Amino acid sequence: MALEDYRADAMRCNRCSYCKWIPQDRIKSWEFAKGCPSVDYRHFHAYSGGGRLVAGLSLTDGRSEITDELIDVVFECTLCGSCDVSCKVCRYDMHPLSGAKEFRHYLVDKGAVPAAYPGIIAKLRDTGNMAGAPQAKRADWAEGMGIKKLGVDTDKAEVLFHAGCLYSFNPALRNVVQSSARVLAKGGLDFAIDGDERCCGGKAYDMGYRDDFAAAAKANLEKWAAAGVKTVVSPCATCFWTFKRLYPTVAGDDYGIEILHTTQVADRLIKEGKLKPTKRVPMKVTYQDPCHLGRQGEDYVPWHGEEKKIFGQAVVYDPPRPRYNGAFGVYEPPRDVLKAIPGVELVEMERNKEAAWCCGGGGAVPQAYPDFADFTASKRLDEAQSTGAEAIATACSSCNRILGNAKAADGGTMKAIDVLELLEQSL
Amino acid sequence: MALSNEAYEALQAIVGERNVTRDPAILDGYALQMLVELVRPNCGHYMPRAGAIVMPGSTEEVQAIVKAANKYNFGVKPHGTGWYHWASPMYDPGTRYGDEKDTVQLDMRRMNSIEIDEKNGIAIVGPYVIHAQLHAEAIKRGWSCNIIGAGSSCSVVAAACAYSGIGAGTMWMGGNAENVLGMEWVTPSGEIVRNGSLGSGDGWFCGEGPGPSVRGIMRGTLGSRGGMGVYTKCAVRLAHWPGSTDWNVQGTVPAYRLPLDKTFRVYTVAVPTWDAWTDLYYKIYDNEIGYTLHRQYNLAGAELAPAFWLMYTDPTKQLSDLPAMLDEPGMAELTEEMRISLQIVMAGRSEADAELQDKVLDKILEEVGGWKVEKYCTQDMAEFTNMYMNRLGHKEINYVYAGNYIGSWMQAGTPDWVKGYIPVAAAGYERDYRNGLLVQAGGDSMMGTVGAYPGGGIMGLEQFVSYDGADHESTAAAWYHMDDAVEDAKTINYPPGKEALYIEMRYTDEQAFDKWSKSKQPWTYVFQREIRKRYDPNYVGDRQYNWIPEEWERGEKHASTPIMPGPGRPQPAPEGYPTI
Ligand SMILES: Cc1cc2nc3c(=O)[nH]c(=O)nc-3n(C[C@H](O)[C@H](O)[C@H](O)COP(=O)(O)OP(=O)(O)OC[C@H]3O[C@@H](n4cnc5c(N)ncnc54)[C@H](O)[C@@H]3O)c2cc1C
Ligand code: SF4
Ligand code: SF4
Repeated sequence: MALEDYRADAMRCNRCSYCKWIPQDRIKSWEFAKGCPSVDYRHFHAYSGGGRLVAGLSLTDGRSEITDELIDVVFECTLCGSCDVSCKVCRYDMHPLSGAKEFRHYLVDKGAVPAAYPGIIAKLRDTGNMAGAPQAKRADWAEGMGIKKLGVDTDKAEVLFHAGCLYSFNPALRNVVQSSARVLAKGGLDFAIDGDERCCGGKAYDMGYRDDFAAAAKANLEKWAAAGVKTVVSPCATCFWTFKRLYPTVAGDDYGIEILHTTQVADRLIKEGKLKPTKRVPMKVTYQDPCHLGRQGEDYVPWHGEEKKIFGQAVVYDPPRPRYNGAFGVYEPPRDVLKAIPGVELVEMERNKEAAWCCGGGGAVPQAYPDFADFTASKRLDEAQSTGAEAIATACSSCNRILGNAKAADGGTMKAIDVLELLEQSL
Repeated sequence: MALSNEAYEALQAIVGERNVTRDPAILDGYALQMLVELVRPNCGHYMPRAGAIVMPGSTEEVQAIVKAANKYNFGVKPHGTGWYHWASPMYDPGTRYGDEKDTVQLDMRRMNSIEIDEKNGIAIVGPYVIHAQLHAEAIKRGWSCNIIGAGSSCSVVAAACAYSGIGAGTMWMGGNAENVLGMEWVTPSGEIVRNGSLGSGDGWFCGEGPGPSVRGIMRGTLGSRGGMGVYTKCAVRLAHWPGSTDWNVQGTVPAYRLPLDKTFRVYTVAVPTWDAWTDLYYKIYDNEIGYTLHRQYNLAGAELAPAFWLMYTDPTKQLSDLPAMLDEPGMAELTEEMRISLQIVMAGRSEADAELQDKVLDKILEEVGGWKVEKYCTQDMAEFTNMYMNRLGHKEINYVYAGNYIGSWMQAGTPDWVKGYIPVAAAGYERDYRNGLLVQAGGDSMMGTVGAYPGGGIMGLEQFVSYDGADHESTAAAWYHMDDAVEDAKTINYPPGKEALYIEMRYTDEQAFDKWSKSKQPWTYVFQREIRKRYDPNYVGDRQYNWIPEEWERGEKHASTPIMPGPGRPQPAPEGYPTI
């Protein structure tokens, strides 16, 4: 696809502004009606799903040019996908989220990116990870845990545990990845990690650097093939989404690798009786649906088709195109895990599941627009606080980090805790 | 005249640099509007582009912007959520405004405060509060509000003060225009006027006084459409909500459900003939049943609608499944069963009241020979309809087929009068879609409220004609469908319908006058001229606030610029061209 391919979307967008809100039916209050962090922060229409499509139309029509402001329009967006869900409540022919991603790719090609990006990509190219940390330290988190390492303890692994860059290198998040691995091992899952694990490339994709993503994907796919990997499990929602939704576009339709998030595995193990949460963990928690696990975590469906018209002018696709409208995201497994923990009281935020408000950590926003990321996280914390919860449980490294550091409007903070960390306390 | 740097800097000083822009790509976000290609030269995709977008944060900032407009000679056009091209600036080049005037669009997003006087059932809202927000806050407190037919995503202030205001709940709750209990208005010359009881310092409880009643000035005929200053706040009357104060939304995208409270009943009812249909309407009015009422589902077209909504309510299905669903056993019968149908939500003040309303509806149906459409009255479909009709949060579905539609006809009147144009409208649509350039949804794809005034009596039906705005041929077909609809109306002595409003946009004001001067001009336009003289001597507002100059009244013509170039008329369908 190219930016030009979204011109029809822009011409078929009629500016209803649904993309600025959570689905209209789900609105329960004035405050938590808002769905799009970008437009809530910058206000101009261009900072919404529909507005970006129009900006692309304007540019490809030659009515406008690439300016610093346009770069902000395109990159000051968390790519959370809320716009896409709300737009698709009524439309089968609109794709504002993929349009927004295409716009980034277009600008990267033209060398028009936020100042922070080239440095981040240079680190990825140099070190194989987004943090730019020495790759030798990649598996330090697993030291002494007795976990098998690919290339060291074994050459083959059916199940690979992929920690992700943030969990691997951020000391503040180390306990999450360790808990996750311990819980799965306790449930009897036989898995290995890759001591020389490489970045999934998802962040590079979101930033618009598609070649870097493809290089990362190819490297990982080759390794997995050599090691006979059949299942990849990750505690990071972004890695999960990258493997599940993006890798098949590189690997082809016979991808065949099962991609699971740790919460899905834990849920399965609990339901199979292999994990028995018995200890009470008295805590009132609310749950943050990570965008990449929730509304963007739907199964990948291969599609190679084209637009066609029925009834004269009604726009459809031949064969039918996957909807990806958030109806079938991974919403229940993390909730079921929380509900299985004795003492944990799960209280929902108004905006949840397909209507969840982003934590602010997506779309490589914290790296380029930290104030916007903080604003978004702060809004989420306000909502979390309104539930009366003591902690905000989540299932993603970005959500965990950003919400754990965020301040609500009243200056309050809240403990961010991973679902599997909580589960471990009850085992 | 381009917005000068001096003027731009003045705007920056008023609202802060962050809240003003003239980046072309951002400006175009406000220029692309629904239906734009039917009113712009050669079916172009942009309305006139503003010189800058400004986001005021307070009434005082709005006032300062308007004063700057008078000083630096630019226009001001307020913008709610922008779901209509009326929110774009319209100045005629080379006409009475002098050169094409640069306009500043005011995006009201930052002014979104809401305050609810729970005891008295009054809400005071800023211009960027949308109906869904007000509705949600009202429901929590046992109140509801009239949501306009455009749906819950639109601004309450825009719908109450600046344009139309009719919705599925209007018969029960009143239209938004009638529900205004006071407003704050920055006039085009920069004065702040507070009307109704607010104007005499008595708070927001009555739009007409004690104190100045300027409702007529602000509303004009259809609403001042942003051409007569900026409304910075208004109070609206709420309606009682006899349901649960917990908005218990169920299910997932796209078709959420709202379980029915014991005091609620939700039906799709149908009748055998259009005569029975008018009787049904009158009897509903006379018996005062119904909380929200709409001929809603037929927007998808009488041939497709029954299958369409069954597709829509199944999250595993999509539009491409529709052809196969049409062939399912029983679908042809269902299509006939629902051909002339409407949706009704009844809300009783008590369970006994709900039961009574049920009996009344049954009796009405018996008298008019009507029936409840069973497949659409199952618990599941009733819950879907309950959500749809109470929140009106699916209005974008109007665009579901091809991204664009033109609502033609929609002449409002008594049901008997509306009945008179239905066969002509249906035949005209069928004729126009035969060449496959418009969506072929069945000749009758007419949708509309059951009552456009409190208590009912007046209503209208809008013909949904979908076209693909990304396809020039299809757009051209829609362009000419509008002209054809006006001609069709003439054949039965009906005035032009809604399409005439759009056609008028293709003309300069002068050309519109030339065209329409053959008919009598509404007196309102003369009054509005005087109002304009007093409140907008420098033409800060654009031509959407209709008025006629004195010369026109005398029949003096103006030099006309060429009429807006349209596309070539698409070829009619060859004989025997297949349709559904
Ligand atoms: C699909 C569709 C269906 C519709 N059906 C109906 C219907 O059934 N009933 C109905 O009543 N309307 C209907 N409309 C019209 C539309 O709903 C109204 O124009 C409504 O007010 C739009 O709200 P908005 O916030 O998008 O306003 P905008 O489009 O932003 O503004 C509407 C007009 O009001 C002016 N305006 C906005 N805010 C202010 C302000 N603060 N001060 C002064 N002027 C202002 C604008 O300049 C513009 O002229 C429909 C529109 C669409 C697109
Ligand atoms: S992108 Fe979709 S939701 Fe947003 S304005 Fe356009 S049509 Fe509406
Ligand atoms: S992806 Fe999220 S932040 Fe970006 S435009 Fe859509 S809703 Fe807004």
